[in-house]
Amino acid sequence: MPAREGTYGLLAEFDTPGDLVRAARQAHQDGWRRMDCYTPYPVEEAAEAIGFHRNKVPLLTLIGGLLGGAAMFALQTWISVLAYPINVAGRPTYSWPAFIVPAYEWTILWAGLSAAFGMLALNGLPALYHPLFNAPNFRDGATTDKFFLCLEALDPKFDLAEAKAYLQQFHPNSVVEVEY
Amino acid sequence: MAHEPNQHAHGASHARALPADLGTPPFVGTWKNRALTTGAIFSVIAVILAVLGQSQDPEHLGWDHLLRGWTLGLVVTWGFAVGGLALLMVQYCSGGKWGLLLRRPLEAMSRTLPLVFVYWAVVAIFMKRLYLWSRFTSASDTAAALKSGILNEIQAHCLDFKRPMLNPNAFVWVSLLCFAIWGFYAWRLNSLGLKRDSVGPETTPYWIKKLENISGPGIVVYAITMTAASICWMMSMDVTWFSTVYGLLFLVEQGFQVLALGIIVSLLLSRAEPFRTLLRQTEQHDLGKLAFAFVMLNIYLTFGQFLIIWSGNLPDEINWYLDRIRGGWGVIITLDFIFHWLVPFTLLLSRDLKRNKKRLILVCGIMIFAVALNQFWLIEPNFKDAARNLHFSWGILEYIAVPVAMTAFWIAYFCTRLTARPLVQTNDPHLAEILEPEHAQA
Repeated sequence: MPAREGTYGLLAEFDTPGDLVRAARQAHQDGWRRMDCYTPYPVEEAAEAIGFHRNKVPLLTLIGGLLGGAAMFALQTWISVLAYPINVAGRPTYSWPAFIVPAYEWTILWAGLSAAFGMLALNGLPALYHPLFNAPNFRDGATTDKFFLCLEALDPKFDLAEAKAYLQQFHPNSVVEVEY
Repeated sequence: MAHEPNQHAHGASHARALPADLGTPPFVGTWKNRALTTGAIFSVIAVILAVLGQSQDPEHLGWDHLLRGWTLGLVVTWGFAVGGLALLMVQYCSGGKWGLLLRRPLEAMSRTLPLVFVYWAVVAIFMKRLYLWSRFTSASDTAAALKSGILNEIQAHCLDFKRPMLNPNAFVWVSLLCFAIWGFYAWRLNSLGLKRDSVGPETTPYWIKKLENISGPGIVVYAITMTAASICWMMSMDVTWFSTVYGLLFLVEQGFQVLALGIIVSLLLSRAEPFRTLLRQTEQHDLGKLAFAFVMLNIYLTFGQFLIIWSGNLPDEINWYLDRIRGGWGVIITLDFIFHWLVPFTLLLSRDLKRNKKRLILVCGIMIFAVALNQFWLIEPNFKDAARNLHFSWGILEYIAVPVAMTAFWIAYFCTRLTARPLVQTNDPHLAEILEPEHAQA
């Protein structure tokens, strides 16, 4: 774990998602890896530009959904067949059509909960502190109308002066140094 | 740190250019020729099967089976034509860039209504072979048939009770009225769609409002006429049974099949200009998601109907399902469940699949096949010889031959209609957006 002091990274601000994506794509091509894009709304191409890799949230959702559905179906089967068998209008105690609706609801519920909490568990949220909020233009623009590319100091290629010159070639609105 | 002056040109300069030629690519003509050939071949097969079936002991049902298969073909092509009209209206009300890809194909589908009318006319002419109510048109008829054992008591009672709606005159007039209404909406939307492109972009807000105002009430009218037609043409094949969700089931089925065909058409068209430029992965993904929604809605309604009737377990309702589950029909409904829901549901869950043209086309093909399979399951068990008794005869193969031939001819007609207009509506604010790079929009 590196010491949490000094420079976190260099933050370039852009006006349009197109400019951000072009800069990010170029940086990734030039070998930059420790970097991130920040946009007011999801820009899928930005994620792809910096080497988006698959995460495990879909798998967690699938497993959660299947387990939820199976659990509810099993619960109803247990109740109706083993624990409290009741004759409902002469139907067999194992009347699966009646079990489908609750099982389906639990599939949805557990898939949704697994997706939400799985996402939080995997992406490290909630984070109480992030160095980027030290930059005033980030605080003002990141959730409204600006698009940011941050080259992080942890990248082996990172050198303050060189990285700054490198970012300038994309004609950003500004390049700011962000402290931890 | 001070912001530096921004000298860079942005955004718009990276938009792709709309191709100069917005006409249909030449391979649509090849589709048409192939469809005509397929239609001719399967027509011959259908006639041969009918003759074989007619000579087969003990049923002699060759021509009857041809007519039942014809009904299946009617329902499928009707679904494309009227369902296309409905989705067009929904799109005018909902907006969205995906509509730009589907609008002209949907318009072309709605303009195939004349062919569907011809298909329907054949059913109307031979209705006595399909519908009990057209053979016993008065109380004395049913009484005599009950005495001689042709009808059972429930059938006789239902025939008498439902006669005000289920009689040859009502069938013809209700259907004609429905066709007139669908025809009116198809004509209105199609002619306005063309007129819209002939005037300048300053009129765009007017057109958006105008088409929305026609389409909104149109969707309500469509739902009512659809319910009437599906009861007359399909549900009344079994006079003893009724379900209040029946019209809605057909409505959703039409959305299901029209979306599947629309996706296939626009993805195939994207092999050449102008759709090569126009089709972005974003909108393809959107269409896939919409198809997924229809897959869910369909299983929701079909299972809901089953669950309610199964729970009630009443003798006047449950027989309809027993006719369609016992005697081998359980196999068909299981296959229906697999192809209609399980396969499209599990496959369309995948994000990658929805963004892969080849695979998305395959899934949509399976969806259209499932629609036909589902109609087979709905139609054939209505008849005494097949209820609770799925068995092979030459005639039953008509359910493949006749609908394939009819749909092939329909596709040929659809291709002609598609070629008649430029493939892109240009007087639309979404056109500029769809030409932008994918990441440029929210």
